[in-house]
Amino acid sequence: MKIIIVDDEPLARERLALLIAEINDQYIIDFAGNGLQAIEQFNKSSADIILMDIRMPGMDGLEAARHLSDLDNPPAIIFTTAFDEYALDAFKSEAVDYLLKPMRKELLEKALKKCSKLNKLQLEQLALRSEETYIRTHIAAQIRGNILLIATADIACFLADHKYTTVQYYKNNIIKETIIEDTLKSLEQEFAEDFLRIHRNALIKKQKIESLEKKQDGGVFVHLKNMPGGIEVSRRHVAELRRCLKN
Amino acid sequence: MPIKNTKNSLFLPNFCDLKMVFAVVIIGELLAFILTLAPLSIEQQRWNDLALISLFIQWNGLLGSSSLCILRPFFVNYSNQFVATASYLVLLLVIIFVSELSFFIIDYYQLGLIIPSTTHWEFLLHNLLIGSIISALALRYFYIQHQWRMKVQMQSKTKLQLLQARIRPHFLFNSMNTIASLTRTKPQDAERITEDLAELFRMLLKEQKELIPWSEELTLSKRYLDIEKQRLRERLSVEWSIENIPDEMMVPALLLQPLLENAIFHGIEPEINGGIINIKGEFVHKQLILSIENNNSKNPAHRKGNKMALDNIRERLEVFYQGRASINCEEINGVFLTVLKLPYLHDSESSL
Repeated sequence: MKIIIVDDEPLARERLALLIAEINDQYIIDFAGNGLQAIEQFNKSSADIILMDIRMPGMDGLEAARHLSDLDNPPAIIFTTAFDEYALDAFKSEAVDYLLKPMRKELLEKALKKCSKLNKLQLEQLALRSEETYIRTHIAAQIRGNILLIATADIACFLADHKYTTVQYYKNNIIKETIIEDTLKSLEQEFAEDFLRIHRNALIKKQKIESLEKKQDGGVFVHLKNMPGGIEVSRRHVAELRRCLKN
Repeated sequence: MPIKNTKNSLFLPNFCDLKMVFAVVIIGELLAFILTLAPLSIEQQRWNDLALISLFIQWNGLLGSSSLCILRPFFVNYSNQFVATASYLVLLLVIIFVSELSFFIIDYYQLGLIIPSTTHWEFLLHNLLIGSIISALALRYFYIQHQWRMKVQMQSKTKLQLLQARIRPHFLFNSMNTIASLTRTKPQDAERITEDLAELFRMLLKEQKELIPWSEELTLSKRYLDIEKQRLRERLSVEWSIENIPDEMMVPALLLQPLLENAIFHGIEPEINGGIINIKGEFVHKQLILSIENNNSKNPAHRKGNKMALDNIRERLEVFYQGRASINCEEINGVFLTVLKLPYLHDSESSL
């Protein structure tokens, strides 16, 4: 059995590791200091259980759990928190495993034995109910059992065709593309502040817009930074796009 | 200048309420009695006078309260000062209107005998004088009653809320976890943190009226930062530069701690590499000037502030210093700066 302990406080990690070793010294323990590191660690060598703190710098526990649950074979996740009124209410109503710090060994033992895998729906509900309006810092794609994380800051646009949603993002200033599981509609809602819908099948980042091009037949295309070719703007979104460019 | 008034804090009672209308009628009638009984000379027709005066007052009272009832939705958006002035003017206008109307009726039907020996202007001035005094008294009464109600509301805030405004439950439980961890690996550190925590909470659970010497407040703040340092390790660095502040200067107990806690919560915890908190203190012109500077996290999810702590500090400053102390916060290029200014108080003044 392999366990990753995720917490930004070294002392909290230390204590958890001690308790786990006492419960069963056969468990293999890995550490991570925040959500991003947890996913890196998981990609390196997967784990069965993740003990996840909630409030962490970089990427918090709720978001990391959401990315992990996208996997075909996700790990079981037990949240740990010292105090979090909002999250606790949500955990109870969504029947999610959680432990309160400082935690008792008996409770940890029990949780490790019977912890269950979280499903996506539960996690989305958690995110909705959490204290802050919830916007992910990264988008996750699954590649051969690993999680590829794309920082929302690097994303140029989301495109949809009839079956898939793809994300186009910059890596060293070159556009890359990968398939993700989110729908364009949910992405539009979540990232309404930074992204703009310009077509039934395209959501672009306002910041990355370079220019507008008007074709002879009246069609309008938008060009994004470092991105070959333009993206078509549907007629009913042209005015909104122009307004956005003015600002 | 119009200031947004929250619905509950409008000092005027609701004149659209039936109970209020009833009260206006009764009070008007009492006033009519007083005015009838007041003249010293004995006259034959007191009942007639009472009837006439009542009629006049009821018209004024009911018209006045219905105007205030109609204006209420409009008043809600303005400051109480504005509302007080406006309603006073409205009431005076109503009195002028009713007086003019009655004088016109008396004149038209030639009922001059009812009010003997008054000219138009005497009549108007007379009514306006009485009306302005009564309206002012009524408004003043409503205002004081409103103040009293607000005070009761404030006092009924539970002690727990006050405590939470001063210290985050997060801090307590995280510290407990730190102690639990240290107990095995470094018992001596655990012991020290337990002592620090006990000292902090002893001060917290005291009345908020407490003033303590600056040297003690400084020690408490350092104890608090020591506890957080154990938890956050190298992510937390603190730079102190305190100059010539008299040790014996009295300050409200634990005024600094919530500010430091805010700095950690918003500036240090959300950052993977932590940050620096700069604390500068100096004593200029018999005034302590303290500034706390920290980076504010760019991560929007962590930006939601604990306004409660700041509001609480403002309230306490008002209690101790009545406007002579100030606290200001501003954010410039991602750096969050809090400046606290306290006038010098010495020991004998502290028993306020």
